[in-house]
Amino acid sequence: MNLKKVNKKLHKRFGNAVTASASQDRITVSGRLPQWNDVVEACRMAATKYSKVHVVNDIVCDEVKEQKMRLPKISDQSLDGEKPDVLIIGGGISGVSIARELSKWKIDILLVDKEADLALQASGRNDGEVHPGVDLGKGSVKHYYIRKGNEMYEQLCRDLDVPFRRVGQYVCFDKNWMKPAISLYCLWRRKHDGISDTVLISGEELHRREPHLGENFKFAISNPSSGCVCPYGLTIAYAENAVQNGARVALNTAVTGMQVENGKIISVQTNRGTLYPKVVINAAGVFAEDIAAMAQDRFFSIHPRRGTNSILDKKAGAFMHSIASVVGLDFGKNHSKGGGILHTVHDNLLLGPDAVETYEKENTETRKESIETVFAKQKKTMPTVSQRDIITYFTGVRAPTFEEDFIIEKGRSTENIIHCAGIQSPGLTTAPAVALDIEKMAVEMLSRNSTIHSNSNFNPKRRGVPVLREMSDEERNRLIEENPDYGVIVCRCEEISRGEILDALKSPICVPTVDGIKKRIRPGMGRCQGGFCSPLVTKIIAEYLGVPVSEVRKSSEDSVITFGKTK
Amino acid sequence: MKNNYDVIVIGGGPAGLAAAIQAKDCGAEVLLVERESRLGGILKQCIHDGFGLVRFKEKLSGPEYAERFIDVFKEKKIDYSLLTFVTRIEKNAGGFQVVLVSRSGVTSVQAKSLVFATGCRERTAKQVMIHGTRPSGVFTAGTAQHFTNLLGELPTRKCVILGSGDIGLIMARRLTLEGAQVLGVYEAKPTPSGLTRNIHQCLHDYNIPIYLSHTVTRVFGQDRLTAVEISEVDENMTPIAGTEKIVECDALILSVGLIPENELAEGLGVKIDPRTKGPAVNGQLMTSVDGVFSCGNALHVNDLVDYVSESGEIAGKNAAEYAQGARNEIGIDIAGSFLYAVPQKLDLNRNNSEITVYFRSREILDKSVFKILVDGKEVYAKKYQFLRPPEMERLLINFDSFGLTKDSQIQFEIEVNSQ
Amino acid sequence: MKELVCIVCPRGCTMQIEGEGEQIKVSGNFCKRGAEFALSEMTEPKRTICTTVKTVFAEEPVLPVRVSRDIPKDRIFDVMAEINKVTVKKKVKRGETIIKDVLGLGVDVIATSGILKELSK
Repeated sequence: MNLKKVNKKLHKRFGNAVTASASQDRITVSGRLPQWNDVVEACRMAATKYSKVHVVNDIVCDEVKEQKMRLPKISDQSLDGEKPDVLIIGGGISGVSIARELSKWKIDILLVDKEADLALQASGRNDGEVHPGVDLGKGSVKHYYIRKGNEMYEQLCRDLDVPFRRVGQYVCFDKNWMKPAISLYCLWRRKHDGISDTVLISGEELHRREPHLGENFKFAISNPSSGCVCPYGLTIAYAENAVQNGARVALNTAVTGMQVENGKIISVQTNRGTLYPKVVINAAGVFAEDIAAMAQDRFFSIHPRRGTNSILDKKAGAFMHSIASVVGLDFGKNHSKGGGILHTVHDNLLLGPDAVETYEKENTETRKESIETVFAKQKKTMPTVSQRDIITYFTGVRAPTFEEDFIIEKGRSTENIIHCAGIQSPGLTTAPAVALDIEKMAVEMLSRNSTIHSNSNFNPKRRGVPVLREMSDEERNRLIEENPDYGVIVCRCEEISRGEILDALKSPICVPTVDGIKKRIRPGMGRCQGGFCSPLVTKIIAEYLGVPVSEVRKSSEDSVITFGKTK
Repeated sequence: MKNNYDVIVIGGGPAGLAAAIQAKDCGAEVLLVERESRLGGILKQCIHDGFGLVRFKEKLSGPEYAERFIDVFKEKKIDYSLLTFVTRIEKNAGGFQVVLVSRSGVTSVQAKSLVFATGCRERTAKQVMIHGTRPSGVFTAGTAQHFTNLLGELPTRKCVILGSGDIGLIMARRLTLEGAQVLGVYEAKPTPSGLTRNIHQCLHDYNIPIYLSHTVTRVFGQDRLTAVEISEVDENMTPIAGTEKIVECDALILSVGLIPENELAEGLGVKIDPRTKGPAVNGQLMTSVDGVFSCGNALHVNDLVDYVSESGEIAGKNAAEYAQGARNEIGIDIAGSFLYAVPQKLDLNRNNSEITVYFRSREILDKSVFKILVDGKEVYAKKYQFLRPPEMERLLINFDSFGLTKDSQIQFEIEVNSQ
Repeated sequence: MKELVCIVCPRGCTMQIEGEGEQIKVSGNFCKRGAEFALSEMTEPKRTICTTVKTVFAEEPVLPVRVSRDIPKDRIFDVMAEINKVTVKKKVKRGETIIKDVLGLGVDVIATSGILKELSK
């Protein structure tokens, strides 16, 4: 877009408060605005969707209070002086998939995350949909990776022992007159995206497949290649496989600064000491812009977008078995407001998410309005959904750029950094494919100065904790015979045994917290939400670690569960 | 454990123990299955007194009450299996095949009839729409009770209790005794949910304030809970904007209701009454599925354990006597201000001369009459000085004296005398 | 006149008390236990304590106990302090005395569960 035009628009809307200036690869918007929504609006005016010329937001916003990244409580020197070949910043789906692909090489890989576990931000707070790859502009990075990623899922999930189901997705329409246009749109998409299985189906066919979807739907787009996966389960599995193949993971480790000289990162400061990596990979989610700034390579900006999902009881899961959403007249124009309904791999229903702009990168509080917005919309998709069936809800913060595209590239001003930034939906779908490309970039960087060899011991297969509730009686019996603890059910709602809990405690990336165990094998994920099993799980963890119950945490260092003995 | 039983009782709490003892007394071969490591159910952690006033005319603690039944149960040499989980049940020609998971593996046991004594679970924070962060320190009252009374661990030093259900009130006193500070009990309804005596002996005795028409709308804290937001609510229990107040504390303890646990029974096709959230049953406590009986808090949430045991006995007796044979059931309608009534049906092929009727009113009512109408004609009436939802009412009715036929229309009615 | 809620049974009768000390007239009670409670409440209010004592057994770190009879209401926390000093080292039976004549009140602290007896040897 022409800079003059941008400034004219900005001037018209905001007076002299903000101006845009351009250099060869970025547009910087600066000035001062009262509200965050104004900042987002101004930057959007300057941005071109899917452009490689990114908007950098330098606007001072009066509403934004100082937003310091939350740091882990721990501070030591346990990593001081380490010289990893590759330092990956961020233990979300992007970071761990890159770590796993890089572990095919004989190199020292260190992944750090500031949280107490993997997948604690956006990767653990999304709906888990593996997207079909329609409705993305050609030429965008998203579009480049989506089909590649989608097609990798079967094999990947088999290798990593993670449940994945290609359940199919329906985009439902209630107005017959829209049919010709949507039909054309489908054809065009098919040609444009090269997806041959996307078809229009009649309302009758839709209701035959999903009888509980809205009666007034006249037709739907069917995308059979859509699927669902447990997003944090996949993240943990990827990381475990990376660790099995030699990579290291340091949790509770936050990057606080970098020393950059002559366009090269010399060292990286953390709360566990100073590191001297050869290559840095920025997979820091909502903090990707901050990491880029530390690396003196800030050529994009992130504007956090909050979304809340609700999880419904498995009883509701019995009424719908795929992914569905309703489309009004705003089709293709806006970010999904109110999301869809998805039958999860664990047989719950998931509703959402909504989409709200926010400057708060780490605020994952839930709000009543979010739930209500989502239900108001999804009652059109499936009238029987009820807030009474909610068992829990959660908020995630996505990390989009103003161009709404991913940034998968080497540093522009700094030579030894690779950015995997601006990741939002469908980042879970693209991650496996993106990781392969970033692997290539990193290997190429490392090969400049020395030869690197492939890891002949690399094993792409990871075995998760056995899921006994899904086994045949014979198989289950055999495992219980080997280890009777598999026969002691601790979580009654999800049918999780003591043996599985102990396995999770012994897993390659042990996170011996109540939430850590919950994320790995699900005790407390059911309808009682840990009411019955949380004291039992807490006790098992305490016994395993040989510490008092009061030493066991829910998640972070300060999240104690009890305050010690009553007497 | 054998392969074949007349009756399998699922659940070893007060209802299951009573059912098993009664079924055994009626000559049945009985197996009781319990998922925990000890018999007694939730009573194991209910160390407060007040149990057994009706049955034993004594004020017993929960463990004492349970262990009296356990002693009898063991004397009778009834088969039981601890740390044993029912993973699924299949109907077959001979009755039911119950598939169990335990340290000895996956085993199947056959039964002619089943008694579900699976108790209830607590409503959670998310079910009452509490928003904000997800710190540690949000407990249901039962979970806090487990930590305090079974593990001997203090779950809070300074807390707020949401909901005035009995367990919440009991925990307010219990935590105070253990040195914690209970800042207040907040109740969204305009009247307390728990028994009046518990308001007095658990709150007033310890100067713990109760705030009616107030609720918790938000929790704060990234790691451990640091504070809660309290709001006043209007008559529809909707928070009133502008009334928010922040209370600093380290825990939020919830006593916001109990839900009968019937997922296993539902898997067999047992129909649930939306009012009780337990199975719809006839006077013998048989559910909509032949041979499947329900009792205790799985049937409906009781106020006193004495009635839990009593319904266990009724279910146990009838499960033992259950013989294959057609039922001849008629429905019971309810009219007026009922929260619910049990049973919902009568089987005319059975003896209905001593049927226990349980009911609760939907609101506080003065001077009311509980009536039974058959074909519009009053056949029974009992006067009450008052009816209150927290207190379950219980009546013994001889339905056989009403000359019921398949075409009879039975209706329970609450009439409020407006004088 | 004073109003009192009877806590003897779940009925929870609201009673009206006229007079002072032992010379009182009680109304609103459903049974005679209410009158007895009212008298006690007006002269020397008494309550029970149900709590736990610590044990030396890891599997059952605490044992439920109660006082054998009601104690004066204002001594509750004194008795709690005494109970908290005790550690049970024996596998006691249900009903067994844990503290005899606690604080000279003529009341024992007794075990209300036989769980320790069930512990593996």
